[in-house]
Amino acid sequence: MFKNYLKITWRNLLKNKGFTAINIAGLAVGMASAALILFWVQNEVSYDQFHTNKDRLYQMYNRSVFDGKMWCWGTTPKIMRSSLKQDYPQIEQVARTTRANFLFTLGEKHLVLAGNHTDPDFLTMFSFPLVKGNPKTALNEMKNIVLTEKTAKKLFGDEDPMGKTIKIDSVDYFTVTAVMKDLPNNTQFDFEYLMPWTYMEKVDKQVEKNWGNNSVQTWALLKPDITEAAANTQVKNITRSHSEIKDIDVFMHPATKWRLYSKFENGKIVGGRIETIRLFSIIAVFILLIACINFMNLSTARSEKRAKEVGIRKVVGASKGSLITQFLGESIMIAFLAGILALLIVQVSLSGFNNLTDKQLFIPYSNPVFWIISVSFILFTGVLSGSYPALYLSSFIPVKVLKGTFRAANAALSPRKVLVVTQFTFAIVLIISTIVVREQLEYAQNRDTGYKKNNLVYSFMSGNVEKNYKLIRNELLTSGAATSVSKTSAPMTEGWSDTWDFSWTGKQEGAKIDFNVYNTDGSFTQTMGLKIVEGRDIDAVKYPSDSLAIMLNQASVKIMGFKDPIGQIVKNGDTKMTVVGVVKDFILQSPYEPVKPMVIQGPKAWFNVIHYKLNEKNTTAQNLKLAEGVFKNFNSEYPFDYHFVDDEYAKKFKDEQRTGTLATLFAGLTIFISCLGLFGLATYMAQNRIKEIGVRKVLGASVIGVSSMLSKDFLKLVAIAFLIATPLAWYGMHTWLQGYTYRVPISIWVFITAAVVTIMISIITVSFQAIKAALANPVKSLRSE
Amino acid sequence: MIKITNLEKFYRTEEVETIALNKLSMEVNTGEFVAIMGPSGCGKSTLLNILGMLDDPDNGSYVFNGVEIAHFNERKRADLRKHNIGFVFQSFNLIDELTVFENVELPLIYTGVSSADRVKRVEEVLDKMQIMHRRNHYPQQLSGGQQQRVAIARAVVNKPKLILADEPTGNLDSSNGNDVMELLTDLNEQGTTIIMVTHSEHDARYSHRIIRLLDGQTVMENIMV
Repeated sequence: MFKNYLKITWRNLLKNKGFTAINIAGLAVGMASAALILFWVQNEVSYDQFHTNKDRLYQMYNRSVFDGKMWCWGTTPKIMRSSLKQDYPQIEQVARTTRANFLFTLGEKHLVLAGNHTDPDFLTMFSFPLVKGNPKTALNEMKNIVLTEKTAKKLFGDEDPMGKTIKIDSVDYFTVTAVMKDLPNNTQFDFEYLMPWTYMEKVDKQVEKNWGNNSVQTWALLKPDITEAAANTQVKNITRSHSEIKDIDVFMHPATKWRLYSKFENGKIVGGRIETIRLFSIIAVFILLIACINFMNLSTARSEKRAKEVGIRKVVGASKGSLITQFLGESIMIAFLAGILALLIVQVSLSGFNNLTDKQLFIPYSNPVFWIISVSFILFTGVLSGSYPALYLSSFIPVKVLKGTFRAANAALSPRKVLVVTQFTFAIVLIISTIVVREQLEYAQNRDTGYKKNNLVYSFMSGNVEKNYKLIRNELLTSGAATSVSKTSAPMTEGWSDTWDFSWTGKQEGAKIDFNVYNTDGSFTQTMGLKIVEGRDIDAVKYPSDSLAIMLNQASVKIMGFKDPIGQIVKNGDTKMTVVGVVKDFILQSPYEPVKPMVIQGPKAWFNVIHYKLNEKNTTAQNLKLAEGVFKNFNSEYPFDYHFVDDEYAKKFKDEQRTGTLATLFAGLTIFISCLGLFGLATYMAQNRIKEIGVRKVLGASVIGVSSMLSKDFLKLVAIAFLIATPLAWYGMHTWLQGYTYRVPISIWVFITAAVVTIMISIITVSFQAIKAALANPVKSLRSE
Repeated sequence: MIKITNLEKFYRTEEVETIALNKLSMEVNTGEFVAIMGPSGCGKSTLLNILGMLDDPDNGSYVFNGVEIAHFNERKRADLRKHNIGFVFQSFNLIDELTVFENVELPLIYTGVSSADRVKRVEEVLDKMQIMHRRNHYPQQLSGGQQQRVAIARAVVNKPKLILADEPTGNLDSSNGNDVMELLTDLNEQGTTIIMVTHSEHDARYSHRIIRLLDGQTVMENIMV
C-alpha cells in the first residue's frame, strides 16, 4: 500500500510541476527561515550553560536606591572576594575578573592584546578546559600567564608555548603556564589570555580595600547543597557589615540567567534578551505556519482535481483512515523534499546570517541529535501542513464526486480564505514593524549629539603616552595633524565612571543622585565642538586654580537646582571643586535615553584617552600619518591605535540596526512565501472559473473587467488582513518603543505605506494570472468544458 | 441476496425537497442479472448507490446477504462493500496517475492481499479481459472500450458476489458496448450477481429481469425469456 501511495504521490508531483515547485519552494524557504532563527535561539539559550558547575555559579550583584528608584548592577568592590572567601563557608570558590590591556613583546613581535586579570579559582570554577597545564596551579604565581590557543598561535606559531617567556609592557617577563582551548562562541567571557590578579595589584601599586568603588566582576561557586535563597540571605549585608555604606544589598545572580535574564526593575529580574528570543521564536513559528498554510491552500484548491481519485479509492474499498494516511504521506514527502532544499538554503545563507547576527553559527552535521531534530521538524511540518488537506480531501463523498456534481465549497468564510487572511495579517504586521524599527533608528541617528563627531579621533594612553603627554600634545598641534587636543578619562562615546558622592549647597538630605563623571585637562569644548552655555572651559594654563575646576552639563545644573551655577562649590568627599562653566547637554551613552547629569572634572583627575581634532586642511590619511609619527616617536614599542568617534558612535545603533535588518529580512521572506501561495491560488482560481470567464466574455465582458473581477476577491482578503494587522502591529510596536525614552511617534503614514506596499505586491501577484485568464479565447474554454 | 423494503431517500436543498426513492421495495436473488430502467431523475442511480453502500437510505430496510445494513456506519459499509461488491461506471472512473495494472490492483491493496497474490490475480483478470498487452499503459492512452474493460477488470478482481454497473455502455460505441455486455453476461454465467442501470433497451435485453422505475417507485417488472 505504501508503495502505491509513494508512486501516486511522485507521479502527482511530476504531473503538476508548477504546483510542486511553488509548494516545495514555499515550504523550503519557510523551513530554512525557521531553522536559521532556531539555530540563533539555540545559541542564545546555550550561553554559558556548558559549565559543569552552572547550577552553582553566580555573579555577585548590588542593589540600591537612587533618586527614588531601585537599581541593580553587577560590578563589585575588589575587596569583596577576600571577605566572601573568609567569612562565608557556604561559598566554595570565588574569582574576580577585570579587563587587562597589555603590550606583548616577543622578539620583533609587538601586539596589544586584551585579556582578563583573575584569581586562580577561575580555572576550576568555570569549564574552560586547558589543552596544556594544570588548572589548579596555572595562575598561582604573579608572573604566570594562560593563553588561549589562538593567542598562543599568534605569538608562538606552531612552537610549544609552555614554559616560554613573554615581555609584558616592556617591564615584566611572564611565563606561559597553560594553554586554554579557544572560548566557545556561546560564552559572555571574552579574553585572549588570563593573568593573575596579583599582577594588577602590583601595577596599581596597591591592594584596594575600598568598599565604595564598584569596578570589577566577582564570581562565586556555591557548595553543592546550598540554595540560592540561603546564600542570598547570607551575603545580603556583606557591604554593610564591612563598611560605612549602609544602603547597599548584595545578591547573587545565577549562571542560568546571566544571558537571558539580565534586566532588573525595582530590584527584580524582569527579563532581558529572553524577550528578543521569544519574539524571534514567535516569528519562526509564524513563518513556518505561513509556509504550511500555503501548502494547505494549494492542496485544497486543487481538490477538484483530486476528488475523482478519492471517490474511486473509496468505491474500491479505501477507508477514510487509509486516505488520510495517503494524503499525510504525500505532504510528508513534500516536506522531506522541502527539508533537503531548506538545508541547502541554510548552508548557503548561514555565513550571511552570521554576519548579520554577529555569531558563528554552523550546521552540526556530525551530531545525531541534529538529524533527529531535523527529521522530527520535517515530520512536524509535513503533518501540520498536510492535516487539513488530508481531512478535507478524505471526506469527499464518492457518489457526488463520481457523478460530477461535486463543486469545491465557495462559502463566505471558507477555511482557505481564513488562511490567506492569516498569512497576510502576519506579513502586514511584519511590514509595519519593519517600518517603525527603521524610523526609530533614523530618529535616534538624527538626534543632535551635542558635539561634532567628524574628524574627531581618540587614542588610548598606553605605555609612555601618559608620561610624554605634553610633548605629544605639542607635536600633534605643531605638526599640523590636529587643531586641538584634549586628554580625557574616557572616549567621548562611553561613560566609564559615575558616582553618587557629590554634594552641593541645597542638596536634599539623604538624596542619592548618580552623576556621570568625565575628566579633561583642558581644550575640551574646542576639541569636541561643544557649546558653552555659561562661563568658560577649564584651562589650567591660564587659570592655575583650574586643577580643581569643574564644568557641569545642563542636566546637572537642573538637578542641582543652581540658578547661577558659575562659582558654585561641588564637593566630592572632602575635595571642593568650583564650577567654571556649563556645557550644552551632549550624548555620552545611549542615544535613546535622556542625557544624564554629568560633572566634568579638571586636570587633577585621572586620564585614559587622548582626543584630537584632525586638521581639516589636510586629508585624513595625511593627518593619521603625521599623528602616527608623533605617537611612534614617544611610544615606539606600541602600535599606533586610533578610533574615529563617528565610527564608535555609529556602533551604538548596531543592535537596532540588526533588529531592523532582521525584521526587513523576515518581512520580505514572509511576503515572498505569502505571495507564492497567492500566486498558486490565483492560478487555480483562474482554471476553475475558466468556463465562467468564457461565458462572461461571450456576453461582452472586457479583459479589464474580467481581470479586475478575478483580482477583487483576493484584494478583499488582503484588505481584511490589513484591518486585523493594524491594531496588532500598533500595539506591538508601541510596546517595543516604550523601551526607549527617546522614541519616534508612530504616524499614520506607517500604516498607509504598509497598505500601499501590500496591495501593490498582491495586485502584481494576482493580476498576472487574472489577465492571462481574461485574455484566453472563450471559444476554446467553452469547448473544452 | 438483496431485499429492500419501503426504502426512502430524499434530497433537500434550502427550498425544495425531492423524493428520489418513494417506499421502494424489491428483491434480487443470487446469480440474477437485473436491469433497472427509467427516465432521468426516476431514482435509478440513487438506488444503485444505496445498493452499492455508497449512500444510505433515509428510511426503510436493506438486507444484504441476510444482514440488515440500513443503519451501518460508513466504516462498516466500506468494509462490507470492498469484499462483496464491484462497480462499473459509465465514465470508467480510472485513476489517471496509475497504470492499467495499478488501477486493477487497487481493490486488492485495500483488501490486504499480499503482493505476490496481487500480481497473479491482476494478470489473470487482465488476461481474461484481453488487455494484458496494455498493462503498463495509462488510462488516457487507451480507447473507451479498453478503458471500460480495465474498469470491469478492476470490478471483478476481488471476486465480488455482486457487480453494480451504472450505464456501462453509455460512453461507448455499439461494437465496444456489445463487447462489454458480453463480458458482463459471461461474469453472470460464472455466478456473479449483476445489477445494471441502463437507458438502453438493447443492453437491458442481456438481463434476466427489467425493473422499471418512475418517480422513485417500481412501475413494472419484465421477466426476460
